[in-house]
Amino acid sequence: MIQFFHVSKQYVKTSYALQDINLNIEKGEFVFLTGASGAGKSTLLKLIYKDELPNKGQILIDSININLIPHHKLFKLRRQIGIIFQDFKLLPDRTVFENVAIPLQVRGEKKTLIDKKVTNTLNLVGLSHRKRYLTAHISGGEQQRVAIARAVIGNPKIIIADEPTGNLDTELSIEIVKIFEKINANGITTIIATHDRNLINLFPKRVIKLDHGQITLDQTVEVEH
Amino acid sequence: MKFLIQSLVNGIASIGRNKLINFLCLGIIAFSLLVLGIFNYIAFNLDRYSSKLTESIEAIFYLKEKADPASIQALVRRLQANLLVKEVGYTSRQEAEMKFSQDFPELNYVMTEFPESPFPASVEVTFKKDAEVNTQVVAFIEDVKKHPLVESVQLNLDWARKIAAAKKFISLFGYFLGFILIFVTVFIIFNVIKLNIFFRREEIAIFRLVGATDWYIKTPFLFEGSVLGLVGGILADLLLLVLVRFIPAAVGNVFSFVGQMFDVRQIPWRILAELVITGGVIGLFSSLFSLKRYVR
Repeated sequence: MIQFFHVSKQYVKTSYALQDINLNIEKGEFVFLTGASGAGKSTLLKLIYKDELPNKGQILIDSININLIPHHKLFKLRRQIGIIFQDFKLLPDRTVFENVAIPLQVRGEKKTLIDKKVTNTLNLVGLSHRKRYLTAHISGGEQQRVAIARAVIGNPKIIIADEPTGNLDTELSIEIVKIFEKINANGITTIIATHDRNLINLFPKRVIKLDHGQITLDQTVEVEH
Repeated sequence: MKFLIQSLVNGIASIGRNKLINFLCLGIIAFSLLVLGIFNYIAFNLDRYSSKLTESIEAIFYLKEKADPASIQALVRRLQANLLVKEVGYTSRQEAEMKFSQDFPELNYVMTEFPESPFPASVEVTFKKDAEVNTQVVAFIEDVKKHPLVESVQLNLDWARKIAAAKKFISLFGYFLGFILIFVTVFIIFNVIKLNIFFRREEIAIFRLVGATDWYIKTPFLFEGSVLGLVGGILADLLLLVLVRFIPAAVGNVFSFVGQMFDVRQIPWRILAELVITGGVIGLFSSLFSLKRYVR
C-alpha cells in the first residue's frame, strides 16, 4: 500500500530529516510511528500525502509513484488519505457538522448524501449530539473526534494521524486510539505518529521507531500486563 | 452550475466577513470608475455638441467671374455626389443681387452704380447630420477650394474645430487618468484579495488536505473580486447619475454655454454599462493576479 525506497529528506544541507528510509506498509495495517521530537515522524507523514517532496528516493502509494503526480492532480491522492493533526485544524467559525462535511462538499456531493454520511460518521465517533455546535465551543477530545470524522468521511484508503493525542489526557487518548482501531477494522491503513510510549504499549500493533531521521526499530509490540 | 453558485455564495460571504476592508475597497473602486465615467460623459456631450455644430455647418463657395454654366453644373453634381453633403444650392450673380436688394432695400441705390451684378455666383453646401467627423468635412472643403472655378470659401467651422480639439484633449486626458485609476483599482483589489487569502489561509490549507481542486479553492476569490468590481461599478453609476442630474444644471445656470452642451436629463446606457463591465473585468483580473501570486 505504502512503499518507501531509499527516501531521504533534507530541509537544510547540513542535516537529514529522513535518511535512506526503506519501508513497506501493507493494506489494512495499523502502524504506530514513534520517536523523539525531531526524529522525522511528521516529515515521513508529510511525504506520504505529498506536503513535502523527498530529496532522494521514491514513494509509491497503491503502486503509484507520487513524485510523478502533477500539482493539479494532487487532489486525487489527497482524497485517498484522511489526515488528522495534533492541533485538529478545524474551522472554529463553523459547526461540527459543517467541518465534517467539508471533504464531501469539495467533491461536489449532493446535500442529501452529505447529510446522511455526516450523521453516520458523527455517530461513529460519538458526536451526533454536538453536530450543531461550533467547534470552538467543544472540548479538545471532541474536537479531535471531529477531525477524525472529517478524515474518514470520504472513505479514504489511508488514515494518517500526526500526534492525534498530543493535546489529550491518557483516558481520552485511549478512547481516540480505540476509534482508530474501529476505523482500521474496516480495512483502512492507519498510521499514527506518537511519542507516547505508554499508549503504544496498550495496543498490540506494528511500531516503527525513528531516530535522527533513520528507522531504528520496526516490530509488532505485544500488550504489556 | 451548483459549484459556481456555491462559489459565488462563498465569495459574497467572504466580502461580508471583512466588511471594513471591502467597504473601503468598494469606495476606491467606485471613485476611480466615477472619474472615468465623468470623462466619458463629458467626451460624449462634446461629441454630441460637435455633431450638432456640424449639422448646421454651411460652406459657401464663391465662384470666379468667368465660370461657365456647364462647369458650374459639373461642380454642383460633384458636390452632390459626396456622402458628407446634405444639400447643394446654386446662387447666380443675378440672384445674389436680387437677394441683396430684398434684404437691404434701402441700399438699392448703390446697385444702380454697377452695370451688372457686383456679387459673385456661389454654391452653398450643407452637411449631413452624421458627418460628425470634422476632419473629413475640413478635408472635403479644402479639396473643393482647390477647384479652378472656386474663388474663395466662407464657412462656420471654427467652433466645430475647437469643440473637436477639446473633445480630443478630454478623451486623451480621460484615457491617461483612466489608465492610472484602473492601475490603482487593480492594485487595491489585488491587495484586498491578498488579505482575504491571508485571513483564510487555514481554510485553504484544510481544503487542500481534504482534496479540493485548485478551482474549488480559487473560484470564490475570483467571484469576490468580480463582485467587488461590479458593485463598485454600480456605485459609480449611481454617483454619476446624481452628478449628471445636479451639477450641469447648476453650472448651466451660470454659463448658458455649458447648459447648451450638456443635456442634464440624458446619460447614455452605454456609459453606465461600460462602468459596470469595466469594474467586473478589473475585479476578475485583479483577483486572478492575486491568486496566481498567493495561492499556489
